[in-house]
Amino acid sequence: MQSIENRRNEELFTNSLMTANEIAVYLIKHCCSLEAFDSYMFGSTLEGIGHDIDILIIGPSGNALSVLKQELMFAGSELPLDILYMQPSEAIETDFVNRERCIELSVLASMNPRI
Amino acid sequence: MKWQVKYALENLNKDVVGRCTAECVQNDVIKIVIKEQPDVLAAISDAYTISKEIANQYVQENPNIDFLCGYRKECVWDGEAISYLQKNNIGWGNFGTLHSAALNGNANVAEQKIFAFANRLIRQYGIVDKVDREFDRVFQVTLKNRHTIRIGLIPDYEPTSDNVRSLWKTFGPVHIAWNINPSGNPCATALEAGEDLGCKVLKTEGMKSYLQTL
Repeated sequence: MQSIENRRNEELFTNSLMTANEIAVYLIKHCCSLEAFDSYMFGSTLEGIGHDIDILIIGPSGNALSVLKQELMFAGSELPLDILYMQPSEAIETDFVNRERCIELSVLASMNPRI
Repeated sequence: MKWQVKYALENLNKDVVGRCTAECVQNDVIKIVIKEQPDVLAAISDAYTISKEIANQYVQENPNIDFLCGYRKECVWDGEAISYLQKNNIGWGNFGTLHSAALNGNANVAEQKIFAFANRLIRQYGIVDKVDREFDRVFQVTLKNRHTIRIGLIPDYEPTSDNVRSLWKTFGPVHIAWNINPSGNPCATALEAGEDLGCKVLKTEGMKSYLQTL
């Protein structure tokens, strides 16, 4: 019987490196705790294959965040994730979402698969 | 082919001006060919932490490497690993450091770009007597008045509360969380987190004058 780890790795790299859409689908599928946070992608991966994958997570600190970090660490064990965690007040203070033209993971996941 | 090698090759080979090409030699090792610069043999690691033992293993298995690259954003380099690699004339750092070092022809002496300036600067302060690098981003600094402090570096543009708390959680207590990015400022919550934990969150401009108060 195939292990979860092997199945996950097959999903990740069946043929080539994943697009932004595929990464969004993959993270939403494997990180249930994302539901409780606002999650975005920004940076070079939105334009193609970047050397890292910039993710922004906005939400409260505490136990839920610790669980999400664990899920993202496991899901990202074979992805170059660069994750920025912000509290809602920090996101407002920095205007990060607008400034960096962040796109919600849920929006990316519903877009054309080759984006 | 391992995931981190795929990413490294993909990004090196998309060089638009065609100056740079790269190929996998074996396992984690790639060869980078740059026009008018020496070829670079680099090992691309997916380790979360690069200890002296891991660095030594890479060197034993690949004695001709010029550079050891920790591909993960969260990759932490142990101070002993850094010393070991530098003594063996092997550059070290993330993918960005590798790429620019290969283009500049100085892969063997390159060091993690994001911490390099702070590493030089802290040693140049007149009040500093000795600097021990515990990790790539954590220094134990002895001042000339024999006061010893522990400093952690935060390279982010606008450090968040999570940046400060994660530094503390990962590396233990520090006296100063030094935001080394020349631009941006720590969020208000980052300063509050520092106060909660009992450490100062300082920009480079405030470092020297603060050390002089100790």
